[in-house]
Amino acid sequence: MASLQTPVAPATPEKPKPPRGTRLPEAARRRRRGENIAGFLFMSPWLAGFLVLTAGPMVASLYFAFTDYNLFDAPQWIGLDNFTEMFGDPRWRKSVEVTLWYVIVGTPLKLAAALGVALLLNQKRRGQAFYRAAFYAPSLIGASVSIAVVWKAIFSDDAIVDRTQRAIFGMDVGGWTGDPQWIIYSLIALTVWQFGAPMVIFLAGLKQVPRELYEAAEVDGAGTWRRFWNITLPMISPVLFFNVLLETIHSFQIFASAYIVGGGAGGNACGPADGSLVYTCYLYVQGFENSRMGLASAMAWMLLLAVALVTAVLFWSQKRWVHYEEGSR
Amino acid sequence: MPTHGEVDRRGLLKLAGGSLAALGLTAAGCGGGSGSGDGTVTIRYAWWGSDDRAKRINRTIELFEKKYPKIKVKTDFQPYLDFWKKFNTQASGGNPPDVFQNAIGFLRKYDQRNVLLDLHAQAKAGNLRLEGFRAGLEKFGEVDGKLLGVPVGSNSMALVIDKPVFEKAGVTPKMGWTWDDYHSAMEKIRKQGRSGDSGLYGVMYLYDPYLRQRGKAFFTEDGLGFDEADLKEWWTKGYAGVKSGIYSDPKKVAQIKPKSAVAAEIAACEFTWDNFTVRYTAEGKSEYGLAPLPTTDGKKTGQYLGSLMLSGSKRTQHPKEVAQFIDFMVHDPEVAKIMGYDRGVPTTTAQYEAYKPAEEKDKVIAAVNKEIAAYEEQLVDADVLEPITPHPAGADVCEAAFLRIAEELALGERSVDEAVKQFFTECKTALGS
Repeated sequence: MASLQTPVAPATPEKPKPPRGTRLPEAARRRRRGENIAGFLFMSPWLAGFLVLTAGPMVASLYFAFTDYNLFDAPQWIGLDNFTEMFGDPRWRKSVEVTLWYVIVGTPLKLAAALGVALLLNQKRRGQAFYRAAFYAPSLIGASVSIAVVWKAIFSDDAIVDRTQRAIFGMDVGGWTGDPQWIIYSLIALTVWQFGAPMVIFLAGLKQVPRELYEAAEVDGAGTWRRFWNITLPMISPVLFFNVLLETIHSFQIFASAYIVGGGAGGNACGPADGSLVYTCYLYVQGFENSRMGLASAMAWMLLLAVALVTAVLFWSQKRWVHYEEGSR
Repeated sequence: MPTHGEVDRRGLLKLAGGSLAALGLTAAGCGGGSGSGDGTVTIRYAWWGSDDRAKRINRTIELFEKKYPKIKVKTDFQPYLDFWKKFNTQASGGNPPDVFQNAIGFLRKYDQRNVLLDLHAQAKAGNLRLEGFRAGLEKFGEVDGKLLGVPVGSNSMALVIDKPVFEKAGVTPKMGWTWDDYHSAMEKIRKQGRSGDSGLYGVMYLYDPYLRQRGKAFFTEDGLGFDEADLKEWWTKGYAGVKSGIYSDPKKVAQIKPKSAVAAEIAACEFTWDNFTVRYTAEGKSEYGLAPLPTTDGKKTGQYLGSLMLSGSKRTQHPKEVAQFIDFMVHDPEVAKIMGYDRGVPTTTAQYEAYKPAEEKDKVIAAVNKEIAAYEEQLVDADVLEPITPHPAGADVCEAAFLRIAEELALGERSVDEAVKQFFTECKTALGS
């Protein structure tokens, strides 16, 4: 908007700025310094928290990533050895594979569920508020340990999922959580079930789509599918992009559910035959069970790099499919 | 009120200072326990186990505090695996509990890391009596000339069996039965419609005596006491057993964890520590008993007494009180009456004689404990017990790898050759570091 205006001289003359190099009057300087101090004082709890709890540990962890450190003896500088060991370790490669599979299968399914339900809930029906709350609820409680425990019970041998599967499809898998091939799908099901948060964001996006567009399209004879594909999807693509980004990053960080559904007892903390050995789970095993904090730090930095790379690719790709309204970019 | 602001600010400062001091005090209270004005000291005691054990242990601590009014004991407990994670973190931060439950697999590891208190000095000073132990058990926690732990209960490997299932199949295991006898017994049970064993191929504490029967061992003082060919033979047999169904479906065993396969009725027996029978009885509906380990030559079982120990922290500020606490826990007859066989059979004669399984109020527990006592007496009579080798540092990681890789093999995720190779690679890394 501003560019359309012809520049006009301001009606009231600006206060003359003090010429460079001259000092402000003493009182003003004191006031400014006072404000600065007050500002820093108000920020200090956050600053202290950031320095002590985030920045400090991050610097330390970056250093440990290049050392052999077992928590007890002083860290030994070993250069890139942790990284070479990581790439040569079949269990590490397995954890990358399991995590990628989880992200690639789980994230689109979760977003599809979120969008589908958001579309349904966007219509005018009785009791919509109830449905919205009901679908959102799993997101609130989903990250808790108790839900993971319940999930394990549901998908175990001879539990409800197993029986249903046998009765309807005649397939006898013997419970998903004991099978190295199937356990990952029980975790995917868990994340899909928690689609509430992206759903709410989708819903907000859907509300923003102007009704006139649909009316115009209807006049032109566009069907439901056509309207969805040519109006809804492009119009909510910024929201879609936001959700894809957030959920992908989120998926890379899966830990609690894998650790709990995967057992956490006996010799295998991450599922039968490493079936749910997600990246963070292996990181945890190396750090806290094998006391190899140096290696675990190196793994953590590797994960950070991977997530940064995926985020960068997503941002790069948005030019091709995300439509922003003119000028609001 | 001209001074109002001033007073307020000062008051605030006082308050802040006061609460900081309070924080400081609490922190000191947490860290290692300290003395207060009247000479009372607080020691922290950490152990792993269940709620049932917690109740018993709290009762023993009440007794201790009554007898030593100047010592207060704060306890902390977790399940086994979580216990070691927390312990590791606390110990590396220089804040381990003053006294804690320990086991043979961890002695060298934490000794190398300077965590364990050498109790010999305290024994010399008379704060810890090393007399009156059964079967030389006072030597159990001795590593490289240092006394790193004192055993509170002894146990031994055994085959826990579902008695009615064994009876129905017509199998009665006896001392000196062989692996062939065992194998045909499993097949007879299989014919009755239940898998025999829950999966012995992953139990390190069984594979060790099996190797000892052949003059080898799982661990030497600084490494592995067997080679790839040995493990290949063991796991080839194990995998064949899973395929034929004489061992339980590993998928089902994995899913009922932490419940045991025998109590869940998907196996008829399981090799484990004899005192676990108490746990099985609590979990399952059937009647459980103990059978001896199968042998190779009809005599040597290769087994030894295992045990839970109490160890002190090298950083404790109260080594004397720690020693007095351990002394009380292993010698006081009342303690044995409270603990029963929860941590194994008491190690001192005084405690062993003080607890009579028959006097237990719960009839089922009484029967089980009688069985455990009889089993251990039988071992002593048959003279099969051997001395144990304290495990090298890193042994715990080896054990976890053994269990995990055996499970992968049983689930068909790895061939025997791959599994053997993977185990040796992982274990050597663990022992080397």
